[in-house]
Amino acid sequence: MTTNIEQQINETWGQPFVEDAKISIRNMDVFYADKQAIFDVNLDIGKHEVTALIGPSGCGKSTFLRCLNRMNDTIPICRVAGDISLDGENIYDTHKDPVLLRARVGMVFQKPNPFPKSVYENVAYGPRLHGLALNRAELDDIVVTSLKKAGLYNEVKNRLHSVATGLSGGQQQRLCIARTIAISPEVILMDEPASSLDPIATAIIEELIDELRKNYTIAIVTHSMQQAARVSQRTAYFHLGRIIEVGETTQIFTNPQHELTENYITGRFG
Amino acid sequence: MNNTEQIKKSLKKRYRQEKRFRLLSLLAVLTGFACLFILLVDMIINEKLNISANFDLEALQNANFRGLIKQSLHQLFPTVRKRSDKRALMRLISVDAEYRLRDKLQAEPQLLGETVPIWLLVDDDVDTYLKSDKQFGRVSQEQIAWITELEQQDRFQQRFNYWFFQTGDSREPELAGILGAVMGSFYTLLVTLLLSFPIGVMAAVYLEEFAPRNRWIDFIEVNINNLAAVPSIVFGLLGLAVFINFFGLPRSAPLVGGIVLALMTLPTIIIASRSAIKAVSPSMREAALGLGASKIQVAFHHVVPLAMPGILTGTIIGLAQALGETAPLLMIGMVAFIVDIPQGATDAATVLPVQIYLWADSPERAFVAKTAAAILVLLLFLVAMNGLAVWLRKKFERRW
Repeated sequence: MTTNIEQQINETWGQPFVEDAKISIRNMDVFYADKQAIFDVNLDIGKHEVTALIGPSGCGKSTFLRCLNRMNDTIPICRVAGDISLDGENIYDTHKDPVLLRARVGMVFQKPNPFPKSVYENVAYGPRLHGLALNRAELDDIVVTSLKKAGLYNEVKNRLHSVATGLSGGQQQRLCIARTIAISPEVILMDEPASSLDPIATAIIEELIDELRKNYTIAIVTHSMQQAARVSQRTAYFHLGRIIEVGETTQIFTNPQHELTENYITGRFG
Repeated sequence: MNNTEQIKKSLKKRYRQEKRFRLLSLLAVLTGFACLFILLVDMIINEKLNISANFDLEALQNANFRGLIKQSLHQLFPTVRKRSDKRALMRLISVDAEYRLRDKLQAEPQLLGETVPIWLLVDDDVDTYLKSDKQFGRVSQEQIAWITELEQQDRFQQRFNYWFFQTGDSREPELAGILGAVMGSFYTLLVTLLLSFPIGVMAAVYLEEFAPRNRWIDFIEVNINNLAAVPSIVFGLLGLAVFINFFGLPRSAPLVGGIVLALMTLPTIIIASRSAIKAVSPSMREAALGLGASKIQVAFHHVVPLAMPGILTGTIIGLAQALGETAPLLMIGMVAFIVDIPQGATDAATVLPVQIYLWADSPERAFVAKTAAAILVLLLFLVAMNGLAVWLRKKFERRW
């Protein structure tokens, strides 16, 4: 039985490719020094849908996600091979600017990490950086719109200029989302955005993700299978640096093809 | 049950250990405080001695101010006839007295032709003699008699020595002031700060944020750490050889002293700044990078401001160290006897610790009090700098 499974992990089951892909990943390998973390991954992330990445700890989901906006460039020993293209252009081309890429592909992190500045300054930082607002009124407008989109505006409208680190955890995370969408990225990557939040704050974030899907392409890493089932349209199951199975979320959760996927989503996998 | 007994037994032992440790820590703190207290009390008691005695006499109008003083003294002691005795009598008064008399007349010309009582500075030997309860001081038997007589006439008075804070060094202890050394220290530290702070912070930012990890960078790191342990006199030799002999910068100048001390302070600032930068949470860097900030923007918008309290603390510690440094300055000639107050960084100057050394080394007994006062001024300088450091820390500290 075990040998059977080991043999089967070298290929990806399901449908890794979609017609209308925003990001396509082909034959991607990632190495940390000599250790290989991702093995020959192929995946499409569809436009205006939420793609969930699930799998046990240490399976390479976060590494995979961080490669999509070249956050792993900051780790000197990390090396990425293969093709990752955003709208058909390889983001790892030597002449491509990672700064521009990160403006187009935003990221929300596991732990809320607002800057130790005011709420307003946190959201205004990105637009100021890229010169997106010509004057104060435009900037105000961007800040308010972003906060509204993140569903935070009503809670903070009276303390836009107080310190952001005084907000609650869930509010901080929504502030980070507002900060990300303030520069109107095309893709938002979320690395376990609700893992440090309570169920109520989590529910708010999940609703928000569903809302954001209309305008953005989203890839989300999550440890909660329920969350993946609730917010995503497509799900990819990672195991030891490989994608074992990928497909429509409903199909993955109701009728998984691969034995490892089934074991994981039914909780039989440790 | 057995387990609980066992834990109870070990608990007693653990609490005992804790108590012992706390007691020892308290003892350490108290020892530190006691040392500081003793030092301060010692200083203040010495400081009381640093008040000059003045001595009054009637002045007559004459262009020869020295002659004027002579005449007045002669009126007080008409029995003194011998030339050598007259000279000894004159030595009771500071050599500077005639100039102060002139200055007074210049300031108040209406005194011309009047006879007024006036206070003049006494010589340092008389000063020492009076302040040491007549035990010390190089005064002759005749002089002692005169002093006793003057004392009975109530012609001595102790006053606070403002002069001390307004002048430069002098061969005469009663005339010596600290301002020259204070200004020298100020200019030297200014040069040190202007050089070492930007260079140190830049170096730290580069090494932490931008430098590739390779053998060269490791080599540079090891060298910076070693530099922090180099004896300071070696930096003085470097200053002498490079800045004075090779570049021809002026000798004894705060400019050269500042450069040398900047070199000495740099490792301290770099090491402190690097650890402050390292302590900035990586999530801040990720947040900024994720929004599309470039590396430079991440460093200067987020990392450096967050590390600023630590950087400033390191800088002030480095500067305080530089303020107390003597050895390298001896090599570049800042140990010279300089009377003029420096007007800029290229004038010849000395600094506070060197001034303390110079006065402590002088044979005149009255310089002991000057030394103590100079130490107090130096300590005040240090306290002020540390206060500034605390204030800056508070100002720049931001909640995470």
